[in-house]
Amino acid sequence: MSSDGSGLSHVPIEAAQPLIEARGVSRVYTTVSGETVHALGQVDLRIADGEFVCLVGPSGCGKSTFLRLVAGLDPCDGGRLTLAGHPVLGPSSDVGVVFQTANLLPWFTVMANVSLPLRVGAGRERPTRTHQVRDLLAMAGIAEFANKYPYELSGGMQQRAAIVRALVRDPRVLLMDEPFGALDALTRERLNVELLRIWQASRKTILLITHSIAESVFLADRVLVMSARPGRILREIPIHLPRPRTLDETPAHPDYVRLMTEIRGLLYREAI
Amino acid sequence: MSAEAKGPPSAATSRGAISTAGLRRAAINGGVFVLLLVCWIVAVRGFGLKSYILPLPGDVLKALWAGLAVPITDKAGFYLPLWVTLSNSALGFLLGSALGLVLGSLMAEFRPVETAVMPYAFALQSLPKVAIAPLIVIWFGFGNSSKVVIAATLTFFPMLVNSFTGLRATEPERVDLMRTLSATRLETYLRVKLPSAAPYIFAGLDMGAVYALLGTIVAEFLGAQAGMGVTITQLQAVSDVAGVFACLIVLGATGILLHLGTRAIERRVVHWTERSRS
Repeated sequence: MSSDGSGLSHVPIEAAQPLIEARGVSRVYTTVSGETVHALGQVDLRIADGEFVCLVGPSGCGKSTFLRLVAGLDPCDGGRLTLAGHPVLGPSSDVGVVFQTANLLPWFTVMANVSLPLRVGAGRERPTRTHQVRDLLAMAGIAEFANKYPYELSGGMQQRAAIVRALVRDPRVLLMDEPFGALDALTRERLNVELLRIWQASRKTILLITHSIAESVFLADRVLVMSARPGRILREIPIHLPRPRTLDETPAHPDYVRLMTEIRGLLYREAI
Repeated sequence: MSAEAKGPPSAATSRGAISTAGLRRAAINGGVFVLLLVCWIVAVRGFGLKSYILPLPGDVLKALWAGLAVPITDKAGFYLPLWVTLSNSALGFLLGSALGLVLGSLMAEFRPVETAVMPYAFALQSLPKVAIAPLIVIWFGFGNSSKVVIAATLTFFPMLVNSFTGLRATEPERVDLMRTLSATRLETYLRVKLPSAAPYIFAGLDMGAVYALLGTIVAEFLGAQAGMGVTITQLQAVSDVAGVFACLIVLGATGILLHLGTRAIERRVVHWTERSRS
């Protein structure tokens, strides 16, 4: 691993214990037809506390598979995956997950949806603090929709609610699997800005999967480029663009296009 | 930000379109009804059919009036037998749908239960279940209990199949969500799977309500003290075909009311499917 700590805007990665660490993590599954598929090769990565890391890679390279492993939804078949030094054995309250679709439950209001994590599983032990949920809704700009049903919201608003739901247990890590992939370009850009604002306000560690090179460069401290299946980390690219990043200034930065070209080059080589 | 919010659908234009379409539909339905009545009358008059083969619509209406325009407690009216039939159906329906939902849920949640029950469920599903009615009468006698049991048996299967199918059809992403929250199996069942399956369950209830009525009447044909099935066989015995028709109309109307009732409850409970579709 070439984790050169100098590339990070917050914490030098070698100094602190990484919050998420993968060493030779692999995942194999068997298809219905009995074929064995190596979804993940040997994935090695370290993510520091407070870091914003984007994972890009060709379709089917195992990005989502890796995210599911970190989320504790599926077990690793090899290697070692730790969260804050402890091996990942299952879902944890320290991890919030945002799915590809907003995945809100249509029978609950927005308020009931975002406070669901406080009413089930490990969340039941905590006292439900409605005003804190309301603060989060306000931070995501959807306070006025608290009593609406998901079908009354646009796709962008639904995804904001999904982010609030992932934050409501105050986890240390936010895992996001192409969270804005289903949205139109304008909404997507706006939500990118909002996500950076939420990240900076809440000091979470974010691992976000995306297909969009522009999105990864705009958001991340570091972009990890994955190879085609079986996926492994090809290269890590530190993004030194100044923060706070804006839609006006960041794309105009001389490094922005250079970084995008570099990542695109790596991905195209993989796609062939 | 407000640009992202979905505005209300343009109600004015859609309402106008619906009323024209609704009018046309009403005209077609009414036309077909009148046409059927005319065919009926022409058939009776043209072929010279006797009233004990096919009575005229007017005679059926008279028989219907005779059965309905009486005090509720009148022994010759439709109300007492209808009450007997409906109460037995309702009891059987509740029993059968509750058991179907419970077993369907256990099958959906626990693979061993599925493996154990599935072959029998499918075998019995393809059996015409009214055929077991005589057997049930042997076991439970000619009283109310045999009616309730047959109604329950007929309701049970659609509920079992529908609740099982519906629960299994829950989007895996929703189940994953509950897993990331370390929700218990019961929490996932109650908050995610059961609401996901609600449209299937209501379709099962809708079918079950009709089947319960059907089962009760078949059981009454086989022997009972009272009920619409008994009334029909009694009228048949004296060749009062107009009376039989009147009974069928009463039962048909009851079936439609039951269907509309379940639909109304479904719309209130499963409010999100109707509106998310529009």
